Amino acid sequence: MRSRTAQRRVGDALTYLVFAAALVFFGGPLLWVLSLSIRTQQEVFITSLRVIPESPTLENYVEVLYSAQFSVFLINSLKLSVAGSVGAILVAAPAAYAFSRLDFRGNSALLISVLALQMISELVIAIPLYRYFARLNVLDSHFSTAMVYIAILVPLATWMLKGFFDGIPPALDEAAMVDGCTRFGAFRRIVLPLILPGLTSVFVLTAILAWGQFIVPYILLSEPSLLPISVGILNFQGNYASTSPNVVAAGGILAMLPAIATFVILQRFIVRALTSGAIKG
Amino acid sequence: MTKKGFAPRELIGENRPTLWMAPLLAVVTLFYLYPAFEVLRFSVTNSSLLQANYEYTLRTYAQVLGDPVLYKVIRTTAIFVLASVVLQLALGLLIAVAANRARRRRLPGIVFMRSVILSAWVMPGVVIGIVWAIVLNEASYGLINLVLSAVGIGGVAWLSNPNTALLSIIIANVWRGTAFSMILQYAGLQSIPDELYEAAEVDGANALQTFWHITIPQLRPILMINIILITISTLNTFDMILPLTGGGPGQATEVLSLRTYNVIFGQFSLAGGAVLAVIMLAISLVITLFYRRLLRSEGVV
Repeated sequence: MRSRTAQRRVGDALTYLVFAAALVFFGGPLLWVLSLSIRTQQEVFITSLRVIPESPTLENYVEVLYSAQFSVFLINSLKLSVAGSVGAILVAAPAAYAFSRLDFRGNSALLISVLALQMISELVIAIPLYRYFARLNVLDSHFSTAMVYIAILVPLATWMLKGFFDGIPPALDEAAMVDGCTRFGAFRRIVLPLILPGLTSVFVLTAILAWGQFIVPYILLSEPSLLPISVGILNFQGNYASTSPNVVAAGGILAMLPAIATFVILQRFIVRALTSGAIKG
Repeated sequence: MTKKGFAPRELIGENRPTLWMAPLLAVVTLFYLYPAFEVLRFSVTNSSLLQANYEYTLRTYAQVLGDPVLYKVIRTTAIFVLASVVLQLALGLLIAVAANRARRRRLPGIVFMRSVILSAWVMPGVVIGIVWAIVLNEASYGLINLVLSAVGIGGVAWLSNPNTALLSIIIANVWRGTAFSMILQYAGLQSIPDELYEAAEVDGANALQTFWHITIPQLRPILMINIILITISTLNTFDMILPLTGGGPGQATEVLSLRTYNVIFGQFSLAGGAVLAVIMLAISLVITLFYRRLLRSEGVV
């Protein structure tokens, strides 16, 4: 009995040792970048492990937001992310419903093919689209870029939504249809409201993925006023890194903040979304 | 009056998949099938971004496949992917096991730890590159070298030495991707029935035996899916590498996807890039076939 208690203590200690090591490895770099972002120019190049600078300042953030077009980049990211996620859900939801409810030949083969699309690199998609869009004169357009965002998010959205539809008993739609609803009416008025938490999960996860999307806007957009933060910050790093890493750090914090804040507030939805696709039954 | 059996109605009725699938099929055709076809077509031309005209030829394949740089790039990519996958899986599993133990013992701190780890995963890849460009910097503000010098190890050339540069992008990628593996493994661990562990305890199994004979076999399906998903995402990574090393020094960290980009937008060789893109497509296809077989055999679809 005693030895088991002792064993549990050792186990608990090891558990927290792993937690602590994980916190240092994953949190350390973030803390350091945060520390650099509030340093004055004089404190950047001193050799010291001090985390809280002697005279903390928010000037770097002001510099980033006002002189480096960051506010424009952030708004562009927001627009593209929301358009991409909403569009992906609009395209994916009816298809996912059909995959879940309708019995047709090739259902599961088609579903696997949709999932397989995720394996294709965005680069492979963006290369021909670059040429195609150039010919149609729609390069440097948020509209055409958002269409590509939708396309990239659609396979994941379809796969996840199908899982959420599967969780609603088909008897519900059938009852509604007996009561005179069309199938589309049952889908829109009965089933969709029931999977609202699922829709939220899909929206949050796809929006975060869209926020980090890089290759597509990097290739399809070049006008600085149209760039999302993921691309804008790369040019910005090129200009500032050697002289003012503190300003780059502030830019990095601003670029990661929306994604982290969304995630921390809505993390229950995200963790569920992440595991729903891979783990079933 | 009834039109039962009338073909067009059968095709587009609301109990048939056609209309429900139409938007998805349109998107897939325009943004996946068409581009994939175009990439195949460009790969058998000599097209360039600088000229509108091109002709069909197989010479581009001969050039790309005969270029020794390709094999250097493939080697770099293989090391990058293999090391990333092994480390993400091992680290993810270690943290998941600790978290699961904390859950069973009702110890606090899981959500906080998970939030910190997942923060690294949710941020844009370019920002991850910027974070590590700061942390691994060889100037005075580089965190890792500051820590190393505090314990008496001299400055490591993390980003300017070809060998350590490859290690650096692996570390940054492990930092990015471990959260995903951890979440999957943690969910997988929670779905293992408690009775199995209780039985093992009754049988007098020690912690290591329990881990090898119960945890690992029970997790196997999720581990396999996990391996495939992180292999694909690592293979397609290049956003994080650009701000960190830019593919350098020299070509030390130029992975296949970055090489493809550079050939098209740096050397303006659309055809050469298309050949590389075809190689990427072929690799994805092989991995996808494995994935399909796996999903079928585990009864997911």
